[in-house]
Amino acid sequence: MTGKAAPGQASRRGASGAGAAFLMLAPFLFVFVLFFLAPALQTFIMSLTESSLTRTNAFIGLANYATLMHDPAFWNSLRHTLYFAVLTVMPLAVLGLVMAMLVDHFQRGRSLLQASFFLPFVLPVSVMTLIVDWMLHPAFGLVNHIVGGERAWLADRDWAMPAVALGTIWWTVGFNMLLFLAALRNIPADLYEAATLDGANRLQLFRHITWPALRPTFGMALILQLIASFKIFGQTYILTGGGPFNTTRVTLHYMYETAFVQSDAGYAAAIAMAFVVVVTCLSLSQIGIMNWLGRRGG
Amino acid sequence: MASVRLRGIGKSFGDQEVIKGIDLDIADGEFVVLVGPSGCGKTTLLRIIAGLESPTKGEIDIDGRRSNDIAAARRGMAMVFQSYALYPHMTVAENMGFALKLAGVAKEEIAASVSRAADILQIGHLLDRRPKALSGGQRQRVAIGRAIVRRPGVFLFDEPLSNLDAALRAQTRVEIARLHKELKTTTIYVTHDQAEAMTLGEKIVVLNAGIIEQAGTPLDLYARPANRFVAGFLGSPRMNFLDAQLESIAESDTLLVSVRLTDGTLVHVAANTNRAESGTSVTLGVRPEQFTVMPRDPAPGAIAAKVAVIEHLGDSMIVYAQVEGMPDLMAVKCGADAPVPPVGSGISLAFRPTHAHLFDPHGVAFAPD
Amino acid sequence: MRSTAALPWTLVALTASAALALLWLAPLLWAASTALRPEHETVSAVFHWLPQTWTLDAFAKVFAAGSLPRWLFNSALVALLVTMLTMAVSITAAYAFSQMTFRGKRWLFALSMIAFMLPFESLIVPLFRLMNQLRLIDTYAGIVLPQLVSPVTIYVFKQFFDAVPGDFRDAAVMDGASPWQVLRYVYLPVSGNIVWAMSIVVFIGAWNNFLWPFIVITSSEMMTIPLGLTQTQDAFGVRYAQMMAAALLGGTPVALAYVLFQRRVTEGMLAATGLKG
Repeated sequence: MTGKAAPGQASRRGASGAGAAFLMLAPFLFVFVLFFLAPALQTFIMSLTESSLTRTNAFIGLANYATLMHDPAFWNSLRHTLYFAVLTVMPLAVLGLVMAMLVDHFQRGRSLLQASFFLPFVLPVSVMTLIVDWMLHPAFGLVNHIVGGERAWLADRDWAMPAVALGTIWWTVGFNMLLFLAALRNIPADLYEAATLDGANRLQLFRHITWPALRPTFGMALILQLIASFKIFGQTYILTGGGPFNTTRVTLHYMYETAFVQSDAGYAAAIAMAFVVVVTCLSLSQIGIMNWLGRRGG
Repeated sequence: MASVRLRGIGKSFGDQEVIKGIDLDIADGEFVVLVGPSGCGKTTLLRIIAGLESPTKGEIDIDGRRSNDIAAARRGMAMVFQSYALYPHMTVAENMGFALKLAGVAKEEIAASVSRAADILQIGHLLDRRPKALSGGQRQRVAIGRAIVRRPGVFLFDEPLSNLDAALRAQTRVEIARLHKELKTTTIYVTHDQAEAMTLGEKIVVLNAGIIEQAGTPLDLYARPANRFVAGFLGSPRMNFLDAQLESIAESDTLLVSVRLTDGTLVHVAANTNRAESGTSVTLGVRPEQFTVMPRDPAPGAIAAKVAVIEHLGDSMIVYAQVEGMPDLMAVKCGADAPVPPVGSGISLAFRPTHAHLFDPHGVAFAPD
Repeated sequence: MRSTAALPWTLVALTASAALALLWLAPLLWAASTALRPEHETVSAVFHWLPQTWTLDAFAKVFAAGSLPRWLFNSALVALLVTMLTMAVSITAAYAFSQMTFRGKRWLFALSMIAFMLPFESLIVPLFRLMNQLRLIDTYAGIVLPQLVSPVTIYVFKQFFDAVPGDFRDAAVMDGASPWQVLRYVYLPVSGNIVWAMSIVVFIGAWNNFLWPFIVITSSEMMTIPLGLTQTQDAFGVRYAQMMAAALLGGTPVALAYVLFQRRVTEGMLAATGLKG
């Protein structure tokens, strides 16, 4: 007949509470620990060793990282990734916004229009690459038929990355469009009606109502796209194999080569860790920028 | 059938202490009403009894057995929720038979039990409908039906009538009372409506800010409220309160006490004040139906007032009058045929000393002995 | 949506929309046009927008070559398994996080959401090792298992379950339901739409997954479509019609899923980004 737990602490209602919860979580815990947590820890540990793909050889502390800091291939790969990001992030946001506004404008035929823009996004990367590759074919491709010439875009030092970027824009803009569509739908119609009654024309409507309301979403789209562009692998690997002369070799590609071609798993793990740091910084800055935009936007 | 016993029940959410120590005995077959204003903890207490919340301290015994650690699903209680909580994707029959289905009862038996309960509540014709095709009153019956089917030891009602319109509310009140007479199941009923409490409860428990103000039969609480809160909570229109000061205590069998109001009037009340001294601030309480309207020319012991508003209810009349020095209007209940005093006229409010209540500075009643 | 537009603006919008839509559909239309013509027309010196001779020859050849049907099967199986298992894993976890109490709940949830930020790409080396040790390289289990960790799906379901009024759960508990029964009889039935939406999104994602299958699959018979298609370039050489036919065949299932369930896909994708539609 003792008193119960201190105020604020719920007393347990029998073993069935915790036990049942554990059973319910068991499937998730199983996959989460085995296929996520453990590998995550292992990446960290592996980066401190000298390992092949299948065997850990020696503990070498931070040696991999030291090498990484001075590895031109690594920094170049980051540069290429950044270049790709610069080529795609803003165009994707702007184009996504334009498309969203166009779709939003129509009642009839809206889903057809939306599907036209979004359809490429549901395609797997290798379908996208086959089609893009064919479009860019030097002799028989559609692109060269329109712009003239016989340039092999994907084999050209200056044009390879932009070509991949253009293909990516075609492939993924649908997602940004969706983001903006949702944001547009959240703007109350009365705002537009009131402003129109006040005599505002379309441009002014956009400048004073649409854009301020969309600014946070625009910022979010930029950041999401930035993070996503750092994670690319498939397009460059398939379209250009990282070439010509590694000009399109992005960081993940470099990591893949290090691990699976050169069988240097330890060094690859270090690249992976560096990669995580970069992406985490970007993700965290997203929160910061969103807050900043939110305060400014109002 | 089951009895329920609460000892020292307390509940805190974080730093907020919602229930502060409640002892309560509910006998087998009793209809107990937990009543009080919003936030008094009555619903929380009900949920603790149900097992949906765990008390922070205290013991619950069901049928004499300590039940703190028994899960809600196994306490043998059925609950009717304020929102009815009918499963939207199931038919009425499936809603009502759900508990039995979970218990593994045979389909024929479930159907029989469901149709029995449906007959009692006259919803047999709704068995194949979904909740969204039902009216509020029908949903309410289904909710009750769902509780009945299980033949539980205790019925728990959480403000079941608050979502119904006035006419339906009165009708359903009567039906719930009839149901209790027929099924004789222990019932714990939560409401904020004092009329429901008065009419349905065999025992009323008035709750305020997490403690029990008073528990007893309805008429007991009405005639002999233990404190100002209970006195003001039960009864509509509310009991009239006037500020006063103890003047003198008559040494006589009837324990008459003289009390001076703010406007100087001296009135008499039958109360046991042997612990108080002259000059103490007290509160005089008189129910609207205990006042009689007299013409001006104050008789000794009557209170002078001026008519402010008159409400004609058809079966009765309520005269609201302003007493000098009191911010609230006094309400007086008169018969429909009583003479109507003109608004603005002066009147006298008379009452019998034995029909008034006196409260000490802390709000506790000086009970008439 | 907007009030009656002035005529010039509607024209502008119409023209812009038509132009952009055409531009966006062009690659697919061009791929189709290529696939529907005989091989020699794809490499002819004279450019033709449309086939001079319409034929399904390329498609037939792609099927006959043997591997594509196999890859389609693999993709379908993997995508279905991933979808069903991810739903099972995520819904139970989401329900536990949403409706059950246990010590360390907030911790665990925060940890799984942080996992959301960690890119899967950084795990491929240890995952490969693990699969190697478990002898699951080049097996369906090896392909499917790592794809079941989906914090986004858990998050979406948790948000949804949180929004269901607690009275239904309480009523079911009073009716004697165990947590599993509450999930099965109360929460699942009301979450039909969101289950559909997320299932389709997960299915499309699983079908399109490239990186992990690329790492863990080593034989041609086990390849999924995204992988198999990368082989076509070498396999078909300069048979462009067949390449386009393969591409279209490989993309049709997901394209069909999208077209048929357009609204649900939209719903699911928006839920996954945390925005309400």
